Amino acid sequence: MSDPIKLTVDGREVTAPGGQLLIKAAEEHGTYIPRFCWHPRMKPVGMCRMCLVEVEGPRGKVLVTSCTTPVAEGMVVHTKSDVVKKAQEGVLEFLLVNHPLDCPVCDKGGECPLQDQTLSHGPGESRFVEEKRHFEKPIAISELVMLDRERCILCARCTRFSDEISGDPLIEFIDRGNHTQINTFPDEPFASYFSGNTVQICPVGALTATPYRFRARPWDLEAVESTCPQCSVGCRVSVQASQNQVLRLIGVDVDATNQGWLCDKGRFAFEHLRAPARLSTPLVRGADGELHEAGWGEALDLIASRIGAVIAERGPAAVAGLGGARSTNEEAYAFGKLLRGVLGTGNLDASLGDDPGAALLAGVPHRATIDDLERAKTILVWGPDLKEELPVLHLRVRRAATALGADVVVVHPRATGLDRDAAHVVRYRPGEGAATLQRLAAGEGDLAAVRAALDTGPVVAIVGRTGLAESADLADAVAAFALTLADAKVMPVARRGNVLGAIDMGVHPHLLPGRVAASDAAARAALAAAWGCAVAVPGRDTSGILSGMADGSIAAVLLLGCDPVADHPDRKAAAAAFDKAPFLVSLDLFLNESNRTADVVLPVDTFTEVEGTMTNLEGRVQKSNRIVPGVGASRPVVEILEDLAARLGGSIGAGAAAIAKEIALVAPAYAAVSWEALDWGRGRDGIVVAEGPFTHTPERRATDPSVGALTLHLGRVLYDGGTMITAGPSLARLAPEPAAHLHPDDASRLGFAAGDRVTVTGNAGSAAMAVAIDPTLARGTVYLPFNLGASIGNGLEVKVEK
Amino acid sequence: MSMLPGFLVTLRQIFRRKVTTQYPEQKRSKPQRFHGRHVLNRYPDGMEKCIGCELCAGVCPARCIYVRGKENPPDDPVSPGERYGFVYEINLLRCIFCGLCEEACPTEAITMTQLFEMSVTNRDDAIYTRRELLMNPDGTVPHPQPDSILVDKGELRLADGWMRATSPSGRAAYEGIIAWTPTAGVGTRPAEKGQSAESHQSSAISQKDSEREAGSGKREADHG
Repeated sequence: MSDPIKLTVDGREVTAPGGQLLIKAAEEHGTYIPRFCWHPRMKPVGMCRMCLVEVEGPRGKVLVTSCTTPVAEGMVVHTKSDVVKKAQEGVLEFLLVNHPLDCPVCDKGGECPLQDQTLSHGPGESRFVEEKRHFEKPIAISELVMLDRERCILCARCTRFSDEISGDPLIEFIDRGNHTQINTFPDEPFASYFSGNTVQICPVGALTATPYRFRARPWDLEAVESTCPQCSVGCRVSVQASQNQVLRLIGVDVDATNQGWLCDKGRFAFEHLRAPARLSTPLVRGADGELHEAGWGEALDLIASRIGAVIAERGPAAVAGLGGARSTNEEAYAFGKLLRGVLGTGNLDASLGDDPGAALLAGVPHRATIDDLERAKTILVWGPDLKEELPVLHLRVRRAATALGADVVVVHPRATGLDRDAAHVVRYRPGEGAATLQRLAAGEGDLAAVRAALDTGPVVAIVGRTGLAESADLADAVAAFALTLADAKVMPVARRGNVLGAIDMGVHPHLLPGRVAASDAAARAALAAAWGCAVAVPGRDTSGILSGMADGSIAAVLLLGCDPVADHPDRKAAAAAFDKAPFLVSLDLFLNESNRTADVVLPVDTFTEVEGTMTNLEGRVQKSNRIVPGVGASRPVVEILEDLAARLGGSIGAGAAAIAKEIALVAPAYAAVSWEALDWGRGRDGIVVAEGPFTHTPERRATDPSVGALTLHLGRVLYDGGTMITAGPSLARLAPEPAAHLHPDDASRLGFAAGDRVTVTGNAGSAAMAVAIDPTLARGTVYLPFNLGASIGNGLEVKVEK
Repeated sequence: MSMLPGFLVTLRQIFRRKVTTQYPEQKRSKPQRFHGRHVLNRYPDGMEKCIGCELCAGVCPARCIYVRGKENPPDDPVSPGERYGFVYEINLLRCIFCGLCEEACPTEAITMTQLFEMSVTNRDDAIYTRRELLMNPDGTVPHPQPDSILVDKGELRLADGWMRATSPSGRAAYEGIIAWTPTAGVGTRPAEKGQSAESHQSSAISQKDSEREAGSGKREADHG
């Protein structure tokens, strides 16, 4: 964009930045030009011809497509002249020649741009009486998307999205002329993690989503804007519900985070909210050893008396709390206040050991925002496969690489979704990360070019756990290296929805609300004055709590929406700890591997059912809103915890709104955050909290352990065995079969072929699965998807046998 | 003596024709476009006309209609097309019998009959579901009230088509042309005549227009 340009639109003089497209310049000045194919986040194609306008030129007025014409100095544009109207009527008449007009049975009917624009700009009656073109009615092009080619107007929005934005060009035009149709390639389903976006941007009902198919019509739906909790990117969504049931999620176009896009997990995982297995009444373990339905009073009285007894007998250090990473900030704060203030224990942690560490997440200096990717010249991604863990962040990095000219450097043990668009790809074997970092920092050998690329600033380094078998120290070391680069910012990433928010709210043994070190006695005293009760000294983190449970030093545990037996990287240690069966209370949506042995399970309200705030991975606080009630007798977490606190002789605040106000008072980093500002002020963009006061200086102290011939790469996949995925019917069937992935060289050395059944043995058990051959894998590595099938632990040592 | 003229009035009335109709033994004939209870129609082959599009629910000013669609089972479709009305409920206590649902319906699935005797002893019974609304494959219509002097089930057969007596766009050129689909039990109803033909324009339509003008004038006067 260059100097502003003056032009005349419908007799009004307007100014637009040079290079801007006419259609956008007109829209920004209040003149809406009808369109189907043009989308503000994609390159123009001029396919649909709906945006024709008249532009005065040296040879008189000519019709041009305003979506492909940049503004020019002195341009005179007519968007409502008789010629333009005639052109629009003609275009619509042609678009409707083959359109089946089955609007009453079409899911798009009522919110369809083709319907709306036919009404506002169409001719009213068609002169075509000929038979329309026919195709087989909806064909399922993937598990989630249905294609009706009769309705398609060939605008190329879906094909451009798949090609330009998501980079999975699985849907394309085939045939020519009147027979042109959209379709997938033979035997290749539209298996993209982003396929739902094509449904959202389709200007007709050609692409519809299976989970929403015939569930409601647009005028049934109420909508509220909220924040997706599925990962820590924090995409803005419009939650749409009817009859107290969430029916679909639509991405909201926010510059700062998702730019209108969502991943299919975020879009369709809402199905778990009304899953039949969801808990709707409190459950209490009876004398027969089974869980029985109980009333709230009974359940809370039991918890209060049992925890009271544990504290009286063994002191508050025998009580611990885990979880909060799936909750809102208000819920996490209430959880932290209950444990630290009311119960007096410092044993609490929101992180389950699958992130790069709370210190790096909360205290990294020079934290990058997602929007910094727009300006970055070089992007270093040494962390998870973003496409699998943080899909919309993957889209933002991809946009930087393909549309904005940034050089992306990917360091990972196997191919990631970004490799195709990356300038440099570095493979390393898990367990050799520190050595690889050493070589990269020094620019040795084949890494010299990569090191040179990192000298071009601004640099954004996305760091996280590449795999769960590797130590979190490696992420710290990468962050330390990245901070030595010129003009560099660091973005530490963790997958779990609100993990940074929970840590910021003090659900961590060493941090108080608002990123204050808990070891600081003065800070604890200040917080104690605000709370009106003593604040516990730092206690144990997740691994400490698990070992405490195993050795019996922790006798009562509160779980807030967390399932360590399934989600902790070291599932064996977690299972051993839970086998010891201390007094266990779980606040959750479902029965899971951890709370099956619980003494009390309390059903809670969750996303779309409670109001609150969430903090995404860049520290951006966004509002999450309520649109439906919970199920059965479920209650909001803050109310449950307040009732529990009252029974234990304390108080944590009445309701989430009051707690939100208290957070702003006691948490320094959150002083500027309020529900009012998020709802009415810069609501859509959220508020990025300031860095500090706690800061962490990343250090390169990671060392490589000595490993054998094969090392384990334990990576995540988007559709895994998580509860949110398996509880909903649409996503549950998308989870891949677990397989042991081997490099072809390793497979031939060991004498395995693809499909062979093998036993994979790790530090915590073994599992039988099929062999898959993956030539992109670093040699000497076995890749297993985490949280799919049986766990073998998270040690680097691994054996594969027939 | 001044009471005599009064008696005279009474005496004169005794010999006049009575205006009271002995309802329900006797029933007055209703206007052709009378809006009674609804019925969900079927095609002669037994397929349901309703496709679950919810346009009736969307247009209903009393918000008394609740519809939810569902995908037609491919091997045993309930209606032509991809979707059928899986849930269909009308709260007749809330209904104002305006007939907009009929006008909105793209398939003439919902029509109104002439039957208005729908008293219930329980509010829940006034919510008609698919069981009460949907006509049987032979074209008969289930009605919750038992056969009695009050309920003339013949009136339930007067459904369908009447609201479109002229053409969808109201043009005289469509006079006498059938613009509706056949219905189970009835077949194709004949086209209605005499609504918009040029010859009738002077009598029927102009009279209507003048009535409307008079009515609106009166309302203005009331408010003025």
